[in-house]
Amino acid sequence: MNFIERGKKRVLKRSRRIIFMGILFSICFFIIALKAFYLQTLQEDVLSRRALKEYRRAGRSMAKRGAIYDAKMRELAVSTGVVAIGAHPKQIVKPKMTAALIAKTLKVSNSKIMGKMLSHKSFVWITRDASPDRAAVLKKAVADGLEFYPSYTRIYPNKTLAAQVIGITGLNEKALEGLEFYYDDYLKGNARKWTYIRDAIGRIYMRTEESRDGGEGKNLVLTIDGNIQYIVEQAIKKAVNRFNARSAMAIVMTPASGAILALANYPLFNPNSYNRFPREIWRNRAVTDPFEPGSTMKVFLAAAALESGKCTPETIVDCENGKYTIFDKVIHDTHPHGLLSLFEVVKYSSNIGAAKIAEIIGPKALYDTLTDCGFGEKTGIDAPGETSGMLRNYLAWQPIDNATIAFGQGISVSALQLITGVCAVANDGLLVQPRIVDRITNADGTVLKKYAPRVVRRAFSQSVARNVREMMRAVTMPDGTGPQAVPKGYTVCGKTGTAQIINSRGTYEHCDYNALFVGFSPARNPKLAVLVVVNAPQGSHYGGVVAAPAFREILRKSFNYLNIPPERQVEEKNEKKGQAGSSVGEGK
Amino acid sequence: MDRRLLKNFDWGLFCLTVILGICGIGLIYSAVNAGGTGPLSGLYLKQMFWLCIGLFLILVICSMDYRKIEKWSPFVFVFFVILLIYVHFFGMQVGGSVRWLSLGPLRLQPSEPIKIAVILVLASYYARRVKPGGINLLKLGPPVIMVAIPFCLVALQPDLGTAGTIGLIAATMTIVAKIEKKTFVSFAALIAIILPFGWFLMEPYQRTRVLMLFHPESDRLGAGYHIIQSKIAVGSGMLYGKGYLHGTQNILSFLPEQHTDFIFSVLGEEWGFIGTIVVLTLFLLLVAFGINIAANCRDAFGTLVAVGVTSMIFWQTFINIAMVLGIMPVVGMPLPLISYGGSSVITIMIGIGLLMNISMRRFVNE
Repeated sequence: MNFIERGKKRVLKRSRRIIFMGILFSICFFIIALKAFYLQTLQEDVLSRRALKEYRRAGRSMAKRGAIYDAKMRELAVSTGVVAIGAHPKQIVKPKMTAALIAKTLKVSNSKIMGKMLSHKSFVWITRDASPDRAAVLKKAVADGLEFYPSYTRIYPNKTLAAQVIGITGLNEKALEGLEFYYDDYLKGNARKWTYIRDAIGRIYMRTEESRDGGEGKNLVLTIDGNIQYIVEQAIKKAVNRFNARSAMAIVMTPASGAILALANYPLFNPNSYNRFPREIWRNRAVTDPFEPGSTMKVFLAAAALESGKCTPETIVDCENGKYTIFDKVIHDTHPHGLLSLFEVVKYSSNIGAAKIAEIIGPKALYDTLTDCGFGEKTGIDAPGETSGMLRNYLAWQPIDNATIAFGQGISVSALQLITGVCAVANDGLLVQPRIVDRITNADGTVLKKYAPRVVRRAFSQSVARNVREMMRAVTMPDGTGPQAVPKGYTVCGKTGTAQIINSRGTYEHCDYNALFVGFSPARNPKLAVLVVVNAPQGSHYGGVVAAPAFREILRKSFNYLNIPPERQVEEKNEKKGQAGSSVGEGK
Repeated sequence: MDRRLLKNFDWGLFCLTVILGICGIGLIYSAVNAGGTGPLSGLYLKQMFWLCIGLFLILVICSMDYRKIEKWSPFVFVFFVILLIYVHFFGMQVGGSVRWLSLGPLRLQPSEPIKIAVILVLASYYARRVKPGGINLLKLGPPVIMVAIPFCLVALQPDLGTAGTIGLIAATMTIVAKIEKKTFVSFAALIAIILPFGWFLMEPYQRTRVLMLFHPESDRLGAGYHIIQSKIAVGSGMLYGKGYLHGTQNILSFLPEQHTDFIFSVLGEEWGFIGTIVVLTLFLLLVAFGINIAANCRDAFGTLVAVGVTSMIFWQTFINIAMVLGIMPVVGMPLPLISYGGSSVITIMIGIGLLMNISMRRFVNE
């Protein structure tokens, strides 16, 4: 058999090609090795940096936001830890089962979650504010496809209470309105910096906190007292409902210190779900919106008249029986009067009398006292968007302006300016700055910053203040314009106002009214100053009828709450009548 | 069994196979378990199981004389072609292609073992027809048909990577078997003419894959994604690697198919250039063993089988690593002994079993 020989020959021939094959294969391996060398030792830093860029991301999250407390440390706004839950729909193997589980755990609608599960996006938010307990349950139950981010949400436990003052925060606790906005720098604290390691589809694999300096936000303690705030809100709500008004606002202030105890705007809104309420009622209108003050200005006219030295409370003017023409304009009084003293002009609220007094003292004296009382300038309240009102310089006044400004037309003020000015009367002529925040505290409760009462200036002399108080006291007498403002057992200095609201055509024809009452009590030792403004009441528009009852109710309930007893004078009278027994806090 | 056979057992090749298999298990473990357990976490255990089956098959194959196997080769070939046809009509569809045959809990990919069948049947055919001047054109007809049938069936699945491997194996074997010079030249010329036309025959997505080799950044999140991510993973491994189980791109799943086709990127990232070179050397050794066996075999069938198996291992290794490093377009191609996959592991192990079989009998068969 020559098989072997033939075989040998073939083997030799073939092995040359086999060696060639071996060389070829080795060259190929060498090429691979070269490329690996290029990638791993020459391009390494470029590719390493790209790798790092792919998976490492820096992120920031907010620190726990500071709380807002009322004067008695009741919580008005707090942040609470929640868990934001997101999902990667494509990674969820059993969407139906998972959706049902999520819906059951978080107590939300199944179909809504299912819709998100079937989304084609790579990432969807399931919820922004799941409670930590439920999130923990869910984390245990669902293995894959969900992301859990610790976060905070803002809660307003008293719902509508003082909502416009406190303000609101939006998504991710971004401050939008009110004190939340004004004091955001204190409240928000320092952002927390995070480094995220993320996988190819954006799932967070690891989270490390980089720095945490400063930490949590600071707390606000307000001068507002939640109870008084509630009393005020209920009182103006009643007034609005009773007179079918459009809206109302009210402020309660401590005259001596400028501390605002309550500041209410009606209609109310719930800041926990602010989006369901119209945007225009989020605003703190008592601070931001100017209006014509009407007859309440006569308080300051009287002060200006006395301060000028050209008038005394007994100065007599002729009130022309209710109709007076001045520079082609006719001024009316509600009730015709003949001769009235300055005292009576305020008491009966005569427009003609006010115009005549203004003529006597001249524009400069009126303007000076009004500006000294804070009109035309911001009070400096710590709330966003404050208006300075509108008071033109007297040199720019038309001849008629002097007369109309005297009874509150051609000037606009904010509710806050008005009550601050009235407080100067209660305060023996000292104008104090109104304030809402009493102090700022650190997260541990220690005081960071304390806001003390501040006297802005002397608006008029002590004797002028005393005389004007007497006039305002007369207003609430049975024959004055505002007897309804007096709670039983107390004395009140006040002033009614019925201000026309300029209509869309710029005139006062067929217009709506603001019914106002502003004042303080007790008369000799003012503890509280109150302003009530009812916008567009129906049926009656007189401040003494519409606003005064709300004023009375606010005073009565607040005095009761603050344990301020009725005055002795009145009590004695009551005892004489044999109605003893209403001796609240007697002997204190 | 003959005692001499036992003495000639190729321990070197056997150890090399086991070492590569262990490397594979280690890398698969990292690919599926680094960064937390998932649904794929148990795959490395399955791979161990397949490797054990493979080692057992190596022993079984060694116990049979390969010349007996030669007699069965036509039946083996026909059997797997029938399986391929069956898959074509009744196979499982996974990810857009029909490759799988469902056998209860197991899934078989007949396109893998068909390579062995092609090697056997071609070797058997050429062994009986080789002559010093080379095989002439006429006698090349049957092998062309024998290769074309499985080639087309696999290409239709579609699985161009495996089909291409079958073609490359056949070409390598044919060249080693020696064909007439003019036939060789005309074939080479034919291929040179057809290749440019191949460009137009390709599906658009295939053309994109080729283009992406040169401009991967033009579609970073689409067609270029694999190439870019693979290069980033390997390159960021640098010289010494990020450490076993510490590859960030691996943990964070920037590369899909990390436990199968792109397993080499896990190696490159976690073990660096050192690891790359070590594994490359192991593969080069494996190929060298195969070439040595082919060169030392005294009969044509054995030589050709050894050449076929060696070229199968080589082409798969080369194409896979070249693809991971961005030298070649992305095709579905497992890395022998390392990538996860039962069919692939078993097929390679059977091939190695044949190599050892031939190696053991190189003196006996004189």
